[in-house]
Amino acid sequence: MTLETSVNESIIGDFLNFNRNIAEIPSRISVPHEVKMDTCEYDVVYEEDRIRMLHYKPLTSKQIKTPLVISYAIVNRYHIFDIDPKKSWIRNLLESGIDVYMIDWGTPTKLDKFLGFDEYVNDYLDNCIEDVCDRSSVDKVSLQGYCTGGTLATVYSALHPEKVKNLVATAPVIDGWKDTTVISNIAKNFDVDTMVDVVGNMPPEFIYYCFSILKPFEQGIEKYLKFFQNLENEKYVNSFLKIEKWLAETPPIPGELFKQWIKGIYQENLLVQDKMFIGNQHVSLKNITMPVFTQVAVGDHLVSPECSMPLHYAVGSDDKNLEIYPTGHVGMIASSYSQKNVLPTLTKWIKTRSD
Amino acid sequence: MISMMSSKPASLTAVGPLRNFTENIKKISQELIESNQEIVDFNTYLMEYYKQLGETWADSQKKVMSKISEIPQDTESTEAYKRVWIDMFENDFTQLFDTESFSKNYNKLVSTEMQLLKRWNTIMDIMLKSANMPTKEEIDEIYQELFSLKKQIKKLDSSKKRRDVKNDS
Repeated sequence: MTLETSVNESIIGDFLNFNRNIAEIPSRISVPHEVKMDTCEYDVVYEEDRIRMLHYKPLTSKQIKTPLVISYAIVNRYHIFDIDPKKSWIRNLLESGIDVYMIDWGTPTKLDKFLGFDEYVNDYLDNCIEDVCDRSSVDKVSLQGYCTGGTLATVYSALHPEKVKNLVATAPVIDGWKDTTVISNIAKNFDVDTMVDVVGNMPPEFIYYCFSILKPFEQGIEKYLKFFQNLENEKYVNSFLKIEKWLAETPPIPGELFKQWIKGIYQENLLVQDKMFIGNQHVSLKNITMPVFTQVAVGDHLVSPECSMPLHYAVGSDDKNLEIYPTGHVGMIASSYSQKNVLPTLTKWIKTRSD
Repeated sequence: MISMMSSKPASLTAVGPLRNFTENIKKISQELIESNQEIVDFNTYLMEYYKQLGETWADSQKKVMSKISEIPQDTESTEAYKRVWIDMFENDFTQLFDTESFSKNYNKLVSTEMQLLKRWNTIMDIMLKSANMPTKEEIDEIYQELFSLKKQIKKLDSSKKRRDVKNDS
């Protein structure tokens, strides 16, 4: 007796191609350290402990006087802002004549587990801004913060308003109780004291776990299926490897900062309730009286719009702008969409409010 | 001596170099006994974690199976089938991760794991101490000390800089 099955030839062909692609991976893709992440040139102009401040080389002959300092998030690294020349946030700002500095928070070691909001805001961020002011001979800078860096920038602007000319908050984590993401659902019941007590700094593995449950099937399966199918497309492979490297290079988060973050923002929601204290200083969002631009993305699965938008309503500024974009957390800063829709509005906004 | 040995042999370790060894063994045994409950709890939460994932997987698979009967069985539909599978699973798992029951159980699981790690650290500390090496607690104290020293130096440094600027002007 023979068993007859009818399988379409093209399905078998696809399957064989897929397997061939897997076998050819070692000869087709670069090893991680060969994947170059940045496209714009920069100098490291300031270093303190593990942190570095990068100053990008100008791409225009004339620049506006007020520099822009970007406070990157404490999760992952700053590379995503300049990972692809056609989608580069940094390149776009430089081409618009803006003088750009970027804070790279570096990789904390066990010795850094006691670093908290106070050190990040009142020491590192303040020292970086002081340094930029000295270099550019200005009293104030424009400050942009992305994601958790947006919270740091917001807190800094509330504590040191005299040094911030404009505040740009891109997907900032502000109102933890209103956040509707999976991250906040986990954070609300998280025993952060025990975790920090035992492990010290928050290990990257735990951060990977949090990422993996955000879009487990799109990010964990579909992304790789697409990669294997597109192995012959050099441009696709190059872009894929850069993003993979960026995702994999997340540093640990200092234990104390993580503790203050989870408790202060997600569990007790201190910032929005006007109850946050950093280094004995009261953080009042009403102190933020400089122009404020809040950018949120509707499809943000890391920081929901409901979590970021309260900043717009809580600040003391008269000159404030809230933009809601139909994109995602990363799409807002590193996509063709952001080049066409997010950056033109932002650069215009910054330039009209700068010296 | 003979009488003591025959009636209470364990008391022999109360004298001489074995004293510390016995003390340490007692502490380690205590930690291991106390960790039993945590191991039981950890397994309970882990089972619940896999149960939640497993049930969601089964539900999603059922939904996919009922949906794919509507998709024609030809080559072009392979992509459509994949899309349905991913969307259905993504949606159901995101709903699961958004529930309070998942969050509570997952956090209990992590917390119990941390308690077990803490016990392991305590056992390691006992062993390190007996080997005359610094314990985790002592290393943490050094880190803390270094951290506050660094902070003090930075403060002094910046006040010196401010004074220098003042003097220069």
